[in-house]
Amino acid sequence: MLSKARTNIPEATGDLTTPEVDSFPIWEVFTQKNIGDVHLHAGSLSAPDASLAQHFAREHYGQDQECTNMWVGLRETFIADEGNQESYEVFVQWKAGDRHQHVGSVDACCGCEAKAKCKEQFVGDKSFYTIWTAPISRLTKIDGDKDMIWRETTDQGYRLPRGYSRVVRQKWDALRAEQAVDTYQEEDLKETF
Amino acid sequence: MSASANVEVKVKEFSKEDPAKLAAFEKHVAEGGLVEPNDWMPEAYRALMLRMAEHHANSEIVGALPEGEWITKAPSLLRKLALTAKVQDEVGHGQMLYEVAQDLGKTRNAMLRDLITGVTKYHNCFNYPCPTWADVCMIAWLIDGAAILNQGTLAHGSFGPYIRTMRRINMEEAFHFKHGEDMVLTLMSGTENQKKMAQEAFDRWWGPALAFFGPVDPPDVMERPAMKWRMKTATNDELRQKYVNRFAPAAMATGLVVNVCEKDEKGFVTSATPDPLLKLDKETGNWGFTQPDWDEFFRVIRGDGPCNKERMALRRFSYEQGEWVRRAILNGATNAPCNN
Repeated sequence: MLSKARTNIPEATGDLTTPEVDSFPIWEVFTQKNIGDVHLHAGSLSAPDASLAQHFAREHYGQDQECTNMWVGLRETFIADEGNQESYEVFVQWKAGDRHQHVGSVDACCGCEAKAKCKEQFVGDKSFYTIWTAPISRLTKIDGDKDMIWRETTDQGYRLPRGYSRVVRQKWDALRAEQAVDTYQEEDLKETF
Repeated sequence: MSASANVEVKVKEFSKEDPAKLAAFEKHVAEGGLVEPNDWMPEAYRALMLRMAEHHANSEIVGALPEGEWITKAPSLLRKLALTAKVQDEVGHGQMLYEVAQDLGKTRNAMLRDLITGVTKYHNCFNYPCPTWADVCMIAWLIDGAAILNQGTLAHGSFGPYIRTMRRINMEEAFHFKHGEDMVLTLMSGTENQKKMAQEAFDRWWGPALAFFGPVDPPDVMERPAMKWRMKTATNDELRQKYVNRFAPAAMATGLVVNVCEKDEKGFVTSATPDPLLKLDKETGNWGFTQPDWDEFFRVIRGDGPCNKERMALRRFSYEQGEWVRRAILNGATNAPCNN
């Protein structure tokens, strides 16, 4: 029995009856498409905490598109100059419009030093647009090997264009063949009678 | 269902901008340069880009509503899976676009609330009814097809975060479109009843699909900010012509007839006659076509469409019913990383 709750919804206009909630912090998500590829910036999302950010990232940036690994961190940690002595993952956006790309990791005492070291070790005199750094302790890393992201154990072809190429082709071929036979029969009949 | 960010926006005077900065910005953009949120940009550019992304985001989440209603009614397990994935994609597109808009200076909450209270708009094509499964098929084929065409050109725009989002969205739209094509072909290879159902849905959606690209271009279109600052890289009429060239012959090849239709106030077709202008001009390679009913288009945009109230009631219902979820997840939230 289908629920009728969502049909016949009474019309309502004017102000909302529910109060506005606080804005959620913004998180940045990096994904690795295949083992061995670099981690690329996939996009951002709003979530109230790290645990929900991870779930959201898995569904949205992992389940929607194939990837083997995923890193999630608060946006502010990527741009912060402060921090503690530890390892930082460093990311470079080579030019405006590009996605940030993971280039390596450095040991540094703060975000500012991590950015300087990234420039020195990975950028050199090449031109770049922006550098992001994130202390490893502040990143949620999901290893797709141990903790599946893209559910490749079942056929996910239904959510990819390539999942339809063969069947669409077959249907076009069958349709055209049928139309050709129809035309042939029509003309055949005309000529015969 | 997805939508273009095709919104006509009026820009206030932007002569207040520093002329040297404005000139440098326009040169940068005209030469194909890209703009990131922290770069200097004219206030009008920021305002327009925000409205464009917000309108696009609104369209994604409103567009997912009528489709979501069809998940339980989809005819097979495969179609259910695919439609569920599509609805998830559309809502995901909304989320990404709200992020883009948010970075330009308006909170997500404000955007969600402005949508429901009618302060901001969403794409007009979602104000039409979706009464049968064939409508779901036509939406995926015709409307998502139109969205890919439009967004393909938007992906060459000037605002970095928006074009990155467009590229990703287009990959997913390609699945929606292919799935739509599969569904339309299934109907058109089926029984007489299925073919009739497909034709009726096609008649309902061909007009909104043509109108999808927005009104006829004004003569000074290239001088207007959207084109001048490369927020858009193709005009409405260029896109519409390209669309007809691609979809009219494809529809005819499946056995569908491209009709000019009259509709009642509920969006249902009252008369359909084959489009007399639908001919291929061999010299230009362009197909002739009858323009959609622009009076109807503007009437629906003003709020007097077949489903405007229904869509907003459902959006409001979803938002208000979801209140406890927002409250619950905010309770005890922590920003410490969680490596399980």
